[in-house]
Amino acid sequence: MILRLERRLAPASSPRAIFFANAAAIVAALVVGGLLFLPFHVSPLTAYADLVGEAFFTARGFGYTVTEAAPLILVGLGTVFAWRSGFAYLGFQGALLVGAVVSTWLALQIGASLPFALFLPLALALSFAAGGAWSGLVGFARARLGGTEVLVSLMMNYVAALLVQYLVTGPMRADGDLPQSALLPRSTWLPIILDGTRANIGIFVALVAAVIVGLVLRGSVVGYELIVTGLSPRAARFGGIDVSGRTLLSSVVCGGLGALAGPVEVLGNQHRLLDGVGEGLGFVGIVAALLGKLTVVGTVIASVLYGGLTVGGNAMQRHSGLPSSVILVIEALIVLLVLASDLLRSWRIVFVVRQAA
Amino acid sequence: MTATPLVELRGIYKRFPPDVRANEDVSMAVAPGEILAVLGENGAGKSTLMQILYGVYRRDAGEILVDGVPVEFANPGDAIRHGIGMIHQEFMLVRSFSVAENVAMGTAPLKGEKFDVRAVAADLTALAQKFGLGVDPAAIVEHLPVGVQQRVEILKLLYREARLLILDEPTAVLTPQEVAGLFDVLRALKAAGKSIIIVTHKLREVMDISDRVTVLRDGRNVGTRITAETDEPLLARLMVGRDVLLRADKQPTPRGRSRLSVADLSVAGHDGELRVRGLSLDVHGGEILGVAGVDGNGQSELVEALFGLRPVVSGQVALDGEDVTRLSPAARRTAHMAYLPADRRNVGSVGDLSITDNAVLGAQRTFARFGGRWRDRRAAAAHASALIARFGIRAPGPDFPAGKLSGGNLQKLVLGREVARDPGVLVVEQPTRGLDVGAIETVWAELLAQRAQGRAILLISAELEEILNLADRIAVIFDGRIVGTVAGAGADVAALGLMMAGRPVAQYGAA
Repeated sequence: MILRLERRLAPASSPRAIFFANAAAIVAALVVGGLLFLPFHVSPLTAYADLVGEAFFTARGFGYTVTEAAPLILVGLGTVFAWRSGFAYLGFQGALLVGAVVSTWLALQIGASLPFALFLPLALALSFAAGGAWSGLVGFARARLGGTEVLVSLMMNYVAALLVQYLVTGPMRADGDLPQSALLPRSTWLPIILDGTRANIGIFVALVAAVIVGLVLRGSVVGYELIVTGLSPRAARFGGIDVSGRTLLSSVVCGGLGALAGPVEVLGNQHRLLDGVGEGLGFVGIVAALLGKLTVVGTVIASVLYGGLTVGGNAMQRHSGLPSSVILVIEALIVLLVLASDLLRSWRIVFVVRQAA
Repeated sequence: MTATPLVELRGIYKRFPPDVRANEDVSMAVAPGEILAVLGENGAGKSTLMQILYGVYRRDAGEILVDGVPVEFANPGDAIRHGIGMIHQEFMLVRSFSVAENVAMGTAPLKGEKFDVRAVAADLTALAQKFGLGVDPAAIVEHLPVGVQQRVEILKLLYREARLLILDEPTAVLTPQEVAGLFDVLRALKAAGKSIIIVTHKLREVMDISDRVTVLRDGRNVGTRITAETDEPLLARLMVGRDVLLRADKQPTPRGRSRLSVADLSVAGHDGELRVRGLSLDVHGGEILGVAGVDGNGQSELVEALFGLRPVVSGQVALDGEDVTRLSPAARRTAHMAYLPADRRNVGSVGDLSITDNAVLGAQRTFARFGGRWRDRRAAAAHASALIARFGIRAPGPDFPAGKLSGGNLQKLVLGREVARDPGVLVVEQPTRGLDVGAIETVWAELLAQRAQGRAILLISAELEEILNLADRIAVIFDGRIVGTVAGAGADVAALGLMMAGRPVAQYGAA
């Protein structure tokens, strides 16, 4: 008997098919990842029970999970917005840092003298504007000059990282041994929403942004024009849509969304600016959006699951002594297999029994 | 049949999961020195059957016999070794190579590290002479006209000693003169004992060239006839399964004032070279101006410039006397211009979006509330349902993805959407390319209905039959210029053909 892939005439696109393909991919990743536990004499079942139990079924763990998820959701929303409109932006790490710098600066300058109800909207608005300008530069390069946004946005991540390094070793450096800014005034910290946990209102910022992005993409005429532009620029031009204008708009909004992850991380977690703040979030958020198939709901779910995996992975490591690299392997397996599971929507696996000649 | 057929197919089945039966119990045969036409609408299973014969697809059941002996083809290479060759619609030639190099590639023996191109060229000259092909082996392929490139493909097969040549829709890209030339070549091949299968959906060609014709419908062989003993209406009925009259019922309509006026227009192509060179034309209300010409003579650049999708180098486009040369596509839509693009799948529609979302493309701010900012989905869905009902679009409902519609149904959707906006001027590019007979009837009828309502229609088509049936006046485009304009009624096909090949003919009739 041999396995053969056979092309489906039409890709299976029902919600049920998509759900099963994704679920099968996650289960397969966990099974393959579980094999890595065996050399450590750890039962995969116990380990996974630790993981899930900690991340989703304890208040403390779940608090960490949503805190991890909030910046991922924001970066993921930026990815959804950009990629759905055909703008392959990869500069969210940079946008996040720009938002972190702006909100740190604002908190240190006037944070202590403003009521939080005024400070937070101001910090978010300024971060959004600065991040939007940052990514809008890339959009401008693409829309008016014909540059490729992939390379330019990737390179700008380094510019932002070096900018932060410069600030925390120079103008914004606080007294002390470490290259970091002063601690932000306590009144600017994002309030905790669940007593005894680290869960702060950053998750609400992310969820409100998700609702707005979802409504704009689904319901507004601009959202329709963005999606048509992303699917087919030629059809968009034919339909009277100003393609380069829409590209520019998309580039501004996506960086603005990604930049919101900056204040969420700085005001909610670190409470100061330091080199390496939000390390990697700008890329993991893109992955979360891809796992969520570039839908708003999917991105939120994938971000929470990803956050839970990180939190639960740490717990698993504490309980069973597995190296933390194992959880990174499992995370990578999940990403790979979920993305690969799309193959099963266009192809089916058939078992062929060799006929006697 | 007494003699052994060269190639015979017996009871071929091919099913594409889950539920498309491309070929069901198809049997056919072609004798040595015979020209067999395989006739059928799009989706009738012609291509699948030929791909099976050529070793591209595997059959699910049935037999292939060559010289009466059962054979198995794992790939086209096997088919070629058995003397079966195929010419696809898109030519498989390396454009920057010479004719001889193209033929030598993959076939000729290597001399050291190189092909012995000179020997191949000598063989080709002999072959070309024998069959009256008139091809210079030293010529570079990209400098050759399409009709000659096709001859290179034929030469390639002859060089490989093919005994059966399969030609898939060979006339789609040719002028009438080139078609006549191709048919002369095919007759010469036949006289030399070669067998030919010509796949087509054009009845005229079947009658002109074939000895026998096999008609496919819904994947089945619905009849094989000796061509001399049948006629076009009979074949059409076999092919479609009902009576068809591919004659547009054109009522005389009073010609109105000039609506679209193009003066001395020049437009550049992607490479910056001028594709439209000082072209002028006028379209009046209540008339269809047909622009005839072989593909690639500036038609696409012309219509894109007319709709604002491509910048104009010089000249003017006026709608109802207003200069619109610099307006955006959106502004031209507002000025009551509509456009049916040739590429309905990638320009005229967005396949991943629903019928509803496609039905409002270009009018997204009309089907909206709050000053055109928020989408009015209910109004859009109602509009889509109205289009579905009015044009008989076969779809499960307005939420169905437009990309899954058949070509004909998608074209009905795009055309319906454009005419629903009540345009004064309608620019229509290749409106029936690749459509089956039923859909062609619908599209033609709708264009004539729009004409009867006084709309000015500019029809760009490479199908001469379409232009002859619909146009009130015919302008022939060649190399970016209109080489002549003739009255549609009683137009002389031979003269049109000469103009399409770039030879201006003394103008006759009203222009």
